[in-house]
Amino acid sequence: MAILQVEKIRKSFGKNEVLKNISFSMEKGDVVAIIGSSGSGKTTLLRCLNFLESPDGGKIMVNDKLLLDADSDTKLSDSEKRKNRLHFGLVFQSFNLFPQYNVLDNLMLAPKLAAKKQLKNGGSYMGCTNRKDAMNYIQNNAMALLQRVGLTEKAHAYPCELSGGQQQRVAIARALAQSPDVLCFDEPTSALDPELTGEVLNVIKMLKEKGFTMVIVTHEIEFAHDVADKIIFMDKGIIAEEGTPEQVISHPQNPRTKEFLSRFSQNFKMD
Amino acid sequence: MEQFWLVTGKLLEGFGQNCIIFGVTLLLALPLGLIITGGSMSRFKPLRWFTRTFVWVIRGTPLMLQLFVVFFIPPLMTNGSVSFGRMNAALIAFTINYAAYFSEIYRGGIESIPKGQYEAGQVLGMTKAQIFGKIVLFQVIKKIVPPMGNEIITLVKDTSLSSVIAIPEVLMNAKDFSMSGLIWPLFYSAIFFLAFCGVLTVVFSRLEKRLNYYKG
Amino acid sequence: MKKWTKLGAVISAALLVSAMAAGCGSETAPTEESKVEETSSAAQVSSADWDDIAAKGKMTVGITYFEPMNYIDKDTNELTGFETEFAQAVCEKLGVEADFQKIEWESKEVELNAKTIDCIWNGMTITDERKENMDISVPYMENKQVMVVKKDNLEKYQTAEDMKGAKVVAEKKSAGEEVAQSDEFFAEADYLSVDSQAKTLLEVKSGTADVAIIDYVMSIGSLGEGSDYSDLVVVDGKDFAPEQYGIAFRKNSPATLEKVNAAIQELADEGKLQEIAEKYHLEDLLLVKPANEATNSDADATSEAAASEEA
Repeated sequence: MAILQVEKIRKSFGKNEVLKNISFSMEKGDVVAIIGSSGSGKTTLLRCLNFLESPDGGKIMVNDKLLLDADSDTKLSDSEKRKNRLHFGLVFQSFNLFPQYNVLDNLMLAPKLAAKKQLKNGGSYMGCTNRKDAMNYIQNNAMALLQRVGLTEKAHAYPCELSGGQQQRVAIARALAQSPDVLCFDEPTSALDPELTGEVLNVIKMLKEKGFTMVIVTHEIEFAHDVADKIIFMDKGIIAEEGTPEQVISHPQNPRTKEFLSRFSQNFKMD
Repeated sequence: MEQFWLVTGKLLEGFGQNCIIFGVTLLLALPLGLIITGGSMSRFKPLRWFTRTFVWVIRGTPLMLQLFVVFFIPPLMTNGSVSFGRMNAALIAFTINYAAYFSEIYRGGIESIPKGQYEAGQVLGMTKAQIFGKIVLFQVIKKIVPPMGNEIITLVKDTSLSSVIAIPEVLMNAKDFSMSGLIWPLFYSAIFFLAFCGVLTVVFSRLEKRLNYYKG
Repeated sequence: MKKWTKLGAVISAALLVSAMAAGCGSETAPTEESKVEETSSAAQVSSADWDDIAAKGKMTVGITYFEPMNYIDKDTNELTGFETEFAQAVCEKLGVEADFQKIEWESKEVELNAKTIDCIWNGMTITDERKENMDISVPYMENKQVMVVKKDNLEKYQTAEDMKGAKVVAEKKSAGEEVAQSDEFFAEADYLSVDSQAKTLLEVKSGTADVAIIDYVMSIGSLGEGSDYSDLVVVDGKDFAPEQYGIAFRKNSPATLEKVNAAIQELADEGKLQEIAEKYHLEDLLLVKPANEATNSDADATSEAAASEEA
């Protein structure tokens, strides 16, 4: 059973058609890397998955549950969008940590708000029925996640005190704190100094080993080759080529793919 | 020496009026400014257009003229039967004027918050109210403290404009002394403003420092 | 400060014009000079203007502080002065309370029209322009413009030649300004207007100006021993533009005017007016005499004669 199915997503900004009938699916534990030149629509696709953009057409299903049917007339309400978003996590290019909160509070802010709301309505949060248990759970979970990204000792530091790489690792932990079904990365290393990209890529590799399902928009071709189960090459709003890293990166068929990769092979030694 | 205390007493009495205008204006204009910001950032075009025009008019005309308008126009239009009274007129004019300025500072603060902060809140499943209250608001406050401090210190000095509708504020009292042959009270009155602004400067720099535990 | 006060004058002038336009809308345009005596003898006119004041039980008297007319006594901390006591005495006769309201002088006409005050009782010079815009009482006191200079410079400014290049200041729109700009004595002088009479003295004292032209009455209250202006003196024998003081009411206040004029005469007859004036050393300037020794001078004749008189 596919954990994520995307069918014929269309999106235009004014006259500019950014996504033209994009369809793909992935299984639980899959890592999909989306590559392509800027303006090819890959970031927009990711934003559609996270309901930051409303597609003009198409469907999004998670675990066979229809989250979005942009072809129908009914528009999603804000609260429906919020609920749908919880199936996805998003790590931004520019981290977008909350500067006024320390690392731990960055991780706990959203879960605490969600827990309070659910407990107030008489429900439970992660099996906890009282506030104290819920808060304990959230804190322990946050600390565990920080340990996973190797930043336990920075729990009480503020984002401005961290390097870019550390900030991005916090952002990853923050996204994980929501326990999303699919974790999305929007060029997670583009804003980093080259020497800091490694630590972030290592965290993503580690997450793959733990079995997380991830969609990664990236310019790091070598990394995509190493970590992805499937590569999608996007060009001008369509999926120009998709397949295993072997197929798409090592032996591209589409001339556009070849052209795109040739620009990178000047910098990187491929295979 | 006796004269010194007499002048001090009289000027203090006047400065009381300045303080009343300052306090009430601040108390009313801070929340009113936020309401105006809501209007000028509204997605409902007529409301946004109306509010921005209002702000343009208020910021584009001298406060002194606004004082005249609020105090004199109602009685002139109604042959004397409607009048706010001098102090009320001053409070109304000052509150509206400063609310307009505050609203623009608020708007600048809100618009300076990167879109990514909102989006980060959104993808974490937070509601609009939570995003504003828990993420944006605090950052806005940090951003607007310096310009607000500036504006509030200007307000202290602007309170003297109320003398144009004959509110017996400190400068007017000082001028009265100069009418009767005493010049020094006019310059002495500066002490009151300096002291008040000095206190405000300290308060605001402390506030800025406390908000400076993070950058950005 | 100077900047906004100037601006204020401009704005109030604009407001004034509109206020006056509004005020005059319903009336016929005022005819030349309405003779005070004529107005007061017109018995059949409406008394609505007085009824308003009587209903309130008080007359709101617009003043500015200016010694010796209306000022705060330094010992008692209470409002006093010639005009203050005069107004109180008149109001007492009329059976209403005198309620003093400080105003900005530039806004006096707007204040009257807005009914935030009922009269201006502040050593106001009677001018043709004011007579057109307001109803003005009998002239009760005379005044003149005098030159004030630093004591050390007293000898320097005696003749018209001395005035060549001298910096002369007066209050904007005041009788002093009129003198500075039109009297031949000052033809060669550099004129500068400031926004109050007090400031003219400040200019002379600080040396930024050489000669101030101010009200004689003002000089009585401001100069002399004990004041900060004790180093300034009035140039003897140089009087300009004799003028008269009157009390101004809203246009179309015939009943009030009649009552106030009658009360003033009564006070003069009783000797009370003389008594108040003596208290402030102004008795020589009084124009309203007790009926038995009345000269019955025609107000306009006097002022016209005065205006054409050259110093």
